[in-house]
Amino acid sequence: MSDDLPDKFDLIVIGTGFPESCVAAAASRIGKTVLHIDPNEYYGGVWASFNLESFCALLEQGGNKELRNASQKWHVAETLKVAEAESDTVAGETNIKTDAAKQNVLDWSRETLLQQSRRFNLDLSPKILYSAGRLVQLLVSSNICRYAEFRAVDHVCTRFQNNIINVPCSRSDVFNTKDLNIVEKRLLMKFLTLCMTYGEDKTDEDALQFRGKTFREYLQEQKVTEKISICVMQAIAMCNDDTSFEEGMARTQQFLNSLGRYGNTPFLFPMYGCGEIPQCFCRLCAVFGGIYCLKRQIDDINIEADTNIASVVLEGKTIKAQHVVSAPGHLPNAFLQRNVGVYGQAELVNSLSRGIFLSATPLGSEELNSGGGGVNLLRLLAGTQEAILIQLSHFSGTCPKGVFLFHITTTAQSDQPAQDLAPFVSQVFNPDDENAPKLLYSAYFTIMGRERTSATPNVDVSTTIFCTSTPYYELDYDKSIISAREIFAKLYADAEFLPRAPDPEEIVIEGEDPRALSENSLPDDLREQLRELENSAENMDIEDTDAAQAGECTQEDAETQNMDAD
Amino acid sequence: MHGRLKVRTTEEERERKKKEQTLKVKAYRAAMAKIQEKRRLQQLDDEMLVLTSQILLRNPDVSTLWNIRRECVEQKSLNIDDVDQRQAIYDTELNFSEQCLLVNPKSYNGWHHRCWTLEHSPTANWEREVMLCSKYLKMDERNFHTWDYRRYVVEKARTSKQNELDFCTEKIKANFSNYSSWHHRSLLLPQLYPYEGDAQPKRAMNEEKLKEELEMVLTAAFTDPNDSSAWFYQRWLLGYSRQELDVCAFRCDNNRAVLSFTNPIILTEEDVVITDSKGNIKKKITNWKSINGAKSDTTWFCSLNGDKVLEHINDQYLLELHITDINVKQITLKTYKQSVYFFKPPNQSFTFTENVLNELQTQLESCESLLEYEPDSKWTLLTSALLMRAIGSQKYHDKSLKYLGKLEKVDILRENYYRDMASKWILEKYLLDWTSSEDFPGKLDLRNEEHLNAIFYPQYLCIADIVLVSEKLNHYSDKKQLQGFIAFKL
Repeated sequence: MSDDLPDKFDLIVIGTGFPESCVAAAASRIGKTVLHIDPNEYYGGVWASFNLESFCALLEQGGNKELRNASQKWHVAETLKVAEAESDTVAGETNIKTDAAKQNVLDWSRETLLQQSRRFNLDLSPKILYSAGRLVQLLVSSNICRYAEFRAVDHVCTRFQNNIINVPCSRSDVFNTKDLNIVEKRLLMKFLTLCMTYGEDKTDEDALQFRGKTFREYLQEQKVTEKISICVMQAIAMCNDDTSFEEGMARTQQFLNSLGRYGNTPFLFPMYGCGEIPQCFCRLCAVFGGIYCLKRQIDDINIEADTNIASVVLEGKTIKAQHVVSAPGHLPNAFLQRNVGVYGQAELVNSLSRGIFLSATPLGSEELNSGGGGVNLLRLLAGTQEAILIQLSHFSGTCPKGVFLFHITTTAQSDQPAQDLAPFVSQVFNPDDENAPKLLYSAYFTIMGRERTSATPNVDVSTTIFCTSTPYYELDYDKSIISAREIFAKLYADAEFLPRAPDPEEIVIEGEDPRALSENSLPDDLREQLRELENSAENMDIEDTDAAQAGECTQEDAETQNMDAD
Repeated sequence: MHGRLKVRTTEEERERKKKEQTLKVKAYRAAMAKIQEKRRLQQLDDEMLVLTSQILLRNPDVSTLWNIRRECVEQKSLNIDDVDQRQAIYDTELNFSEQCLLVNPKSYNGWHHRCWTLEHSPTANWEREVMLCSKYLKMDERNFHTWDYRRYVVEKARTSKQNELDFCTEKIKANFSNYSSWHHRSLLLPQLYPYEGDAQPKRAMNEEKLKEELEMVLTAAFTDPNDSSAWFYQRWLLGYSRQELDVCAFRCDNNRAVLSFTNPIILTEEDVVITDSKGNIKKKITNWKSINGAKSDTTWFCSLNGDKVLEHINDQYLLELHITDINVKQITLKTYKQSVYFFKPPNQSFTFTENVLNELQTQLESCESLLEYEPDSKWTLLTSALLMRAIGSQKYHDKSLKYLGKLEKVDILRENYYRDMASKWILEKYLLDWTSSEDFPGKLDLRNEEHLNAIFYPQYLCIADIVLVSEKLNHYSDKKQLQGFIAFKL
């Protein structure tokens, strides 16, 4: 190894997925020395985003330890020329049904899509953030948000009588929607207002009356219409028939609390894909001194019996660390075979069946995709199973203009993701439906899940090695954050988890007197003006009290007038 | 701690802010002093423009500096003949005020300076200003300064009114809690869709459009019944406009005459003539006196000193009016004892066409269904009551008063407002009923109306010989005027 790494760290983190990056940033932030390694040549592990070419390549090679059962299919011709020839000569054999769709599909070929490969950011684990959710709160409170950019989700949709309709989220949505009559509008608003204030009064009658009942029963009691009930159940509370009243209410409140913050809906999507999120944490870690090494294999980890210090063998070199945190798939085999106790080492559970689809047309009506479409969220149901569909347009920075990217995620029922997803795919990409988007490309894979079971055997309190969890089936990052915080709390019991990082202007350069204010900190024109006028001002009798008043005028007059005008 | 970050403590930060503030104050005072000195010397040059802009960019609300700037601009453009060069000076001002408005989008001075600049510049690009307004209203759709300015530039740019209405609709769709936008609408609609029917009082716009607007406003009301902006717009739509000028009441015998109007007017000598049925002038009444001694009043009286105006009391007498603002020119008078009179009870209900009436009925039904869900909703109760009055004040008299009674309880802060409104409606009904009573028009007995807390239409009472009021009304604050009437006996 050519680079000159220190031979001792407080913490070594293996894997740059979301929970690992979270722990690495938090440790670095409180002054711990951190070495962050990833065996892959890219950041993010199963949380990464890929351009189209690398994504296809990854699937081509059959995935890896964490991504399995990969398959992909091109629904367009190799090149445009061939496509034209084909449609002219053997039109009957193609899957293209309508002229309009034909035209759209014909705009693309495998070649033209791959030419734009770098415009794609295909997420392995796509997520949608609640505007007031745990991740957004963490990004804001830790000041990590300065590294990220977001797009407010444009529409939350639901399926009603085989149509995809917009779920009115905000007050103006309710006002504008043609899907509800005025009485329904009132009922919906009233119901949502009720949910907002629910729980403020501890002796709430509903709380007692519906304890142990389902949220659906509660909705029925509110005498709302079928349409409203579907909107609330499927898209707002995102619950099933057997979801408890308390849970449904909590989710509705989470939805409502996130409203009115950034956009028309309560959700955000990270620009350029969710792969950005772990990298934001890595960046903070690096700012506070964390060292990054990608494409490095860990050969082995040894634990000194008396001190519990880990010796990590990194491509022949031994580095010592107080603790090691690793993504589930990255612990070296040699180490695993010795069967040492690892906190959080988990069984294969909670795998996710994933589908990624490209189309030249968006899903749903023009109204849902005005101005070229944005980010739409749709929760799909099939029997007792559910799936989350995220539609992305080029405005999200995840695909080129003219292409729409669809992510469908559901919990894995088998090792055949295409089969798991089939009941949902058929609802939105039904080839017999003229209005359904025509696919250009589709891919299926399984994200292998490993979750920590609550009681992990063979682990004593002084354990050195910790294992994180893979992505959960959830819209936001809540469970992953909880799990990362849990590990951090085990490592550094009394330390604060990601306190606010200072902005550059708050940072004092070493040797600088923090109280000193030089003219240099003034804006250019003001400084110039000050210098120029200093001489003429010397002759004037300026008393400090007067000056203070004048100062108030300049600063506060504008504010006062603002308020007056309001 | 080598290589570790040190972050300022809040104490240090406060200290730093204070220092910065002191420096800024020093700079501000120095610049102001220099500006004043230069102005005294009438040095309205480029340096002056720079100095004023440095301050205005930080605080765009110093009117003096804007005035000085205008002096500078005038001075500067004075000796320049080239149009482009002169335009360049004004363009600089436009850009400058735009920057200032970004600092404070509600700066009266900033907006005014733009108007001034555009008015004085050789060529003004009004379309650009309309676009600027759209941009600003995207950032804050409720800034009434921008809406005001928009109306001004739209007029100049001759933008189509339909475009403006569409723009307005977009803004209301985005957020209907927007008085400015509703107001903008209320100015555009009567011009775009003028009313051409002959219902009185005149409708605000043609009935088809009115119907659409009512539907839209009801949707807003159902979405959020507590938002007052939509309800206010609805009240405007339903035409609670000022009552038009008309004659309320007239009575005359050989000794005295009294004449009253819906609104105050200035009555002059040539205005009123009494004729008989053949058109012979019996009396030209000239010496009118206002009941309050005011120049303009609703109620006027005069002494006729036994002029024998009414020689044959059973004859048909007519009242001729020569008042420009009143459509009615001739009124047939009725006889009561030894006097003649005319009486038109106050505004009972609006004469709507079938079309609008049906729409009002629908609106009322919707409000009633809204009340099922929100029995205590203030705006819904009030609107229902007003709708009932509009549809049929007689038919819904009791019910509308019941709603006002409820409003007194749910909106206790405005309890007296509702009481006054109830008094008004009660009196309206009472005056109507009075016309068919035996005592009419000699005696008006209001003693049994326990909910009558105020007298809203004193001008209608003037034809009575006696007005009997309850103890409560004797303490009515406007007693002076009321007593004037009671004392007035023919």
